Amino acid sequence: MRLRSRNILLAAAVAAPVMLFTFSRMTAQAPQTPGQRPTPAQRPSWTVGSQGPLPEHAKFTPLQAESGGALFIQNCAFCHGKDAGGGETGPDLTRSKLVTGDKNGEAIGAVIRNGRLDKGMPRFSLSDTEILNLVAFIHTQQDASMSQSGNRRGVDESDLHTGNADAGKKYFEGPGGCTQCHSATGDLAGIASKFSGLRLEMQMLYPRDAKTKATVKTKSGQTFAGTVEYEDEFTLGIRDSSGIYHSWPMTAITAKLDKPVEAHVTAMSKYTDDDIHNVLAYIQTLK
Amino acid sequence: MNWKKSARVLTLAAAATVTTGLNAQNVDSAMLKNPPRDSWLGYHGDYSGRRHSALTEINTRNVSGLSLGWAFQTQQNGVLKATPILADGILYFTLPDHVWAIDARSGHQLWHYAAPPTKAFHIGQRGVSILKDKLYYMTSDAHLQALDAKTGNVLWDVEVADSKKGQWATMSPLIVGNHVLVGASGDFDNLQGFLRAVDPDTGKTQWTFYSTPTVDTPRVAYSGNMWMTGTYDPELNLIYFGTGNPSPVLNGKVRPGDNLYTCTILALDPETGKLVWHFQPSPHDTHDWDAVEIPVLADGLFDGKPRKMLMQASRNGYFFVIDRTNGKNMLTTTFGPVNWTKGVDKDGRPIPNPDKEPAPDGRLIAPDEGGMTNYRSPSFDPKTGLFIVSASPSYSLYFNKPADGAYGWAGADYGLWSKGVLDAIDYKTGKIRWSHELGQRAGSGVLTTEGGLTFTGDATGNFLALDTATGKTLWHAGAGGQIASSPISYELDGHQYILTSGGNVMFAWRLPEAPAAPAAKRTPTAATTK
Repeated sequence: MRLRSRNILLAAAVAAPVMLFTFSRMTAQAPQTPGQRPTPAQRPSWTVGSQGPLPEHAKFTPLQAESGGALFIQNCAFCHGKDAGGGETGPDLTRSKLVTGDKNGEAIGAVIRNGRLDKGMPRFSLSDTEILNLVAFIHTQQDASMSQSGNRRGVDESDLHTGNADAGKKYFEGPGGCTQCHSATGDLAGIASKFSGLRLEMQMLYPRDAKTKATVKTKSGQTFAGTVEYEDEFTLGIRDSSGIYHSWPMTAITAKLDKPVEAHVTAMSKYTDDDIHNVLAYIQTLK
Repeated sequence: MNWKKSARVLTLAAAATVTTGLNAQNVDSAMLKNPPRDSWLGYHGDYSGRRHSALTEINTRNVSGLSLGWAFQTQQNGVLKATPILADGILYFTLPDHVWAIDARSGHQLWHYAAPPTKAFHIGQRGVSILKDKLYYMTSDAHLQALDAKTGNVLWDVEVADSKKGQWATMSPLIVGNHVLVGASGDFDNLQGFLRAVDPDTGKTQWTFYSTPTVDTPRVAYSGNMWMTGTYDPELNLIYFGTGNPSPVLNGKVRPGDNLYTCTILALDPETGKLVWHFQPSPHDTHDWDAVEIPVLADGLFDGKPRKMLMQASRNGYFFVIDRTNGKNMLTTTFGPVNWTKGVDKDGRPIPNPDKEPAPDGRLIAPDEGGMTNYRSPSFDPKTGLFIVSASPSYSLYFNKPADGAYGWAGADYGLWSKGVLDAIDYKTGKIRWSHELGQRAGSGVLTTEGGLTFTGDATGNFLALDTATGKTLWHAGAGGQIASSPISYELDGHQYILTSGGNVMFAWRLPEAPAAPAAKRTPTAATTK
């Protein structure tokens, strides 16, 4: 039961009883001894995936983590899973690079405050204390999940190594039509050093950040060009090369839009799963 | 009622603040079957789920003049997903942990009930229901409460599902005869889905229909939660509810077969809860595609013969027309990109393609987990024969490997791309007659009116009034926030209102009063003459 659009009511923090988060999803996992965090060397490599060494977080009190846990259940768990391990429309936070790199809430806090509107995450107006409690909970969950062995959800880079790079190259240069816009030695040179694993695959299938470009002609004959910042049925807003924002009612202009991602959407109805894995294997060679 | 429940009721009653008294409400079964023009008595307005208003004052010729009657600021965080109900000039609507009664003429608050927050998910609240002088409200932790419609005071409180086990509630109860019909959400955990009939006076359970065997039964699916308001045909005396997806959600290997009655449309006897027929839009679902979308009831010609139909635009991307007397399929078609099937079987059910089950290296799936459509209400316009649904063409990647286990979500999926489009489906052919782009992905439901209008919202927060015949925009206004509820319409003092929500604000739209006769010209006086 997932609802794509999220409506999250932020109620006051509720003092939670001790929540150890022994949710049944975790019951099949190896038991953990509280207070004993294995060193990176002790962790079996197949559970670590691409996560690297254990992150260094600020110290939080159990009370902060408990309080954050209650807030998490109300506001975040529907998308990110009760244990922050993902499963909804929201990703696994225990495998998040942003969470790993966060020491004291500076990165996580910014995401909570600003949301990720392009990905459907709303802004949350929570107090600094509440945000810090949430951060404490998320870090606790990451530490717990990175310390355990086996039964991890999520996608490891090794899971994605099923394709054939040669077949992928053929598809890329042939029926995939990828070379109409891309070049392995041009715009895609070094792409596999910039992105890896699932991130690379998602970027390959749909480059979310690719901006639509617009050339606008007003009724008085002026011409503007820039990247599209806002577009609906009634209004077009662009930012020009000097950073100035302009907007017009659609009725006042003629606009030519260049949407480079549309070719990727068209490709989605043509790909087989094998094509995807093969092209990914090829792209992974572009280091 | 044990002492714990009594204590909860006392606490809750104290939380309601009454600012004025109301007239006694008198919503009875006859009214629910045939709602007056000055009302919107349940989630769908009437039992059919068509969300089609018979009102014509606002129509294709004058809608361009629609203007704001009032706006009500809830002053709360969150986005309104509730359908307001209207009885005796009073509107009632909700956010999680909040219920308001406001004057439908002015938008002034009569009372506000702030329920004690719970630790359950606060993903949404779809509204209250009314019978006689009581409102029925589901708390986020899956209790059913009866509120005094005049004051908002809690009269009784019963637990519908145990939130500690992972269930929660968002639904607006369906009231049929002497039954308050409720279910609960929850597929993060392996739980048994159900629909329950509760006595409106006492809160006592009358019957329970379970979607699946008990959760200790091996090699079967669990869940099949019922979390959307169903529909009712008084003539056939059947209630129709869609059930949610099975769990473990993305791991289908541990639950072979069709997984009845998950992702299923059920026809039940409201007196006994006995199953009369079923139709399964998603046999053996492994993509989280609940079939809870509104089962819309309409009568009309099909293949030249008058038929009693049930229509569903299902989350899995298929549109179904079913004979609602017996559950036999009349039409199955898709209404957007769908790539997870090998076709349709002789009974009109999609045949899942095993190669499109979530896999360790990922599978590209259309639609995505949010589905081609979702809880947002569609509308059926009998005049044009159009079933109008807010749709989301989309693609995503689905993963599952043995290490993901057999509990709850049991896998991972990642949305790649989606957009919003309003599709007008001709029910006789399944063909899309017109499509109206809504931006990236919209969340608003749809209302059609006999005035030839279709009301909805786009992805960027514009309220839209379209010409139902063509899909062309005739009026729009910015809401300043996400539009996540479904519009309603009613008549007050002889004038038609359209109610829409944007963010946490409720907006009432109407035509402006006829302009007053121009004042007689006054003779300028010396003092004012220059």
